[in-house]
Parts: sequence; structure tokens; C-alpha cells
Amino acid sequence: MASERQIAANRLNARKSTGPRSGAGRKRASRNAYRHGLTLNITSTVEVAKQLDKLARKIAGNTDDAITLECAGEIAQAELELARVRRAKVALIERASAFGELDPPQLTVTQMIQTLNALDRGGRHIVPKPIDAAATMPSQQPERLAEAIRRGLPQLRKLDRYERRAAAQRERGVLELADRIKSEHNL
Amino acid sequence: MRRNELALLPKLPLLITESAEEFDALRDAFEREIKPQGIIEQLYVHDISAIVWEILRLRRCKAMIINAGFRNALEHLLMQLLTGPGQYEYQVQDEAKTLAHSWFTEQEAKKQVSEVLSRFDLDESAVEAEAIRRSSADLELLDRMLSSLETRRNKALGCVAEYRASLAHQLRESADRIIDAKGVLRLEDAGSERSTAA
Repeated sequence: MASERQIAANRLNARKSTGPRSGAGRKRASRNAYRHGLTLNITSTVEVAKQLDKLARKIAGNTDDAITLECAGEIAQAELELARVRRAKVALIERASAFGELDPPQLTVTQMIQTLNALDRGGRHIVPKPIDAAATMPSQQPERLAEAIRRGLPQLRKLDRYERRAAAQRERGVLELADRIKSEHNL
Repeated sequence: MRRNELALLPKLPLLITESAEEFDALRDAFEREIKPQGIIEQLYVHDISAIVWEILRLRRCKAMIINAGFRNALEHLLMQLLTGPGQYEYQVQDEAKTLAHSWFTEQEAKKQVSEVLSRFDLDESAVEAEAIRRSSADLELLDRMLSSLETRRNKALGCVAEYRASLAHQLRESADRIIDAKGVLRLEDAGSERSTAA
């Protein structure tokens, strides 16, 4: 556990760290936690909102019951979420197939240190050209596709989590809808 | 009716190399089996087809990963087998590389590799095992994704059955209530009335 003195020092140090000051820096920092946007609300476009509404009405059937409509909306929302994650998966594989990797080539830590050391010494360090990942991909299908999936596996696995979540949300909605229909029939 | 419902569901995105006709054929096959009634069941059939499609995609990928690793695996195995006592692996590296490369195209090289393998009571399955071992990290990830998809497919199948059973139960209850409310003549009553009349 931190002592009183350490806590006071931490507070003092924290005051010195004020984060980004420029407009551009603040804007960049505001997107620090952004990864892929899959947790954003699905109804962000008018077209999607219309599609959602149509599907929800079809699921709800001929009813004006607010709770049934709510359940149907939840199911429709989850269905469109599932579609969105599936689209993201396909886009990811296609990108890996086209470029051979998902992130642009970056300098390794060693290369960075070598470059900085060379600059300190007043000399010039020639940064090696990055490896063209696309050139390392098999030229023929279906081997190229398999390699693209292999290279995108960690990301695909992450997307899998979102897919499972959307599927579970839909299951919950269907169960609620079934219960609602049951109680309507019992009235 | 079915076409209208399908138009409402989001289309399954396919890879450039995949065929929309093949996916439609797969979904039709599931439709024939499950015979979905209503949008909810249609939704599940669509989902099950999409999951199975992805399972097939990943299974193909798994086989490809093993096949792609075959040459490196053979090279590595040959290096181990060709290294004699008191020798280092790098000393046989070139020979192993050439032999592994020719194995795919030349019959003679194939025979030679078989001889080397049989000297240690091994066959081509040892090469496959080495290919699997070398790609185990990727295969493990693929397996996790596959088992997650298989669980979801089974769950979706269960959900269709559950939803259908629940709907059937509701319909039965509604039908019973209608019969009770209207005081429809029961069969045994009708029979007794007829016998009395006779």
C-alpha cells in the first residue's frame, strides 16, 4: 500500500500531466479507445433505421402492443448487428488477402533506436525498406484466401465475441416475444 | 411469402471467391429440412445457414494451412532424419531442402523420401503430423472459432425447436379455449344423444 508521502507525490505528479493541449491532440486522444466501431448504435444511418423498422414490424406481426413491438425491435436490432459483424469479418479477410496484412508496416523498436542513435551522432541511418506483405501471399486461390484468414485470425476471433453477443441478444428477444405472445393469448 | 421474408433479412456477405448460388443451395437444403414457419423461424434458418457456411470456410482454411506447411514440415523432418551421428543439421540442410522441393514434382524424389522415412519406421503421416505441429498456434485459434460456431449452430437449432414447441403449445391452448367458450358439442355427448334418439 502507498504511504501518505507517496500518495501526495502521485497527486502532485498527476497535476503536471494535463494530457493533450492542442485541438488536434485532443481530437486524437478522444479516439484512443476506438477500435472498430462495432459497439456503436446500429441505427446510425437512415437506411439502416428503415430496414430495422421494417424487420421489427414483420416480426411483431399485426399488433400495436408496445411491449411486443419493443421485443421485435430488439430481435431486429440483434439481427442487423449480426449482419454487421459478418460484413466486418468478410471485409477483414478481403483486406488481408489484398495487402497481406491488416496494419501498415511499422518500424520495429530496434530500428527506431538505431535511427535515433544515428541522428544523435549526427550521422544518417538508412532505414531498411519495409517487407511487402502482399508479395509474401500465395498467388493462387484458394491458398491465398486461407493465408488471408490465417493472418487475420486474432482479429477474427475478437469479432467472434461481438457475433456471440448479438446472437445472445436475439435469443433473449425471441424468448421475451414468445412469452409476450403467450400472455396475450391468455388474456 | 417466403421471398418477402427473405428480402427483409440482411444478405449474408460473401467473399469474392465464394458463390452466392452455392450459399442459396445450402440455405434451401436447410429450409427443406426445417420447413420454417414465419419470420422468426426463417431468421433462424438464415442464421444456421450462415454459421454452417462459415464453418465450411474455416474447415477448408484449416486443411489449406496444413497443406501449405507440408513442404517446410518435410524439409524439417528430413533434416532431422538425414543428420547422422556427429553431424549438425546445417550440414544436411541443402540436401533436405532440394529433396523436399522435388518431392512435389519428381517421382524419384518421392521414392527417396519414402526410403528415408521407412528407415525410421515412418511414413507420410509423419510429415502431416509435423505440418500440424508447426501450425498448431493457428490451428488452435481456428479450432476455437470452429467450436464456438458449432455451439452457436446447435443453439440456433435448439431455439427453432423451442420456439416452435412454445408456439404449438400456445395454439393448442387457444384452440382449447375457443372450443370451451363456444360450447362445441363433444363427440361422446353427440354419440349418447344419437343412441338416445334411436
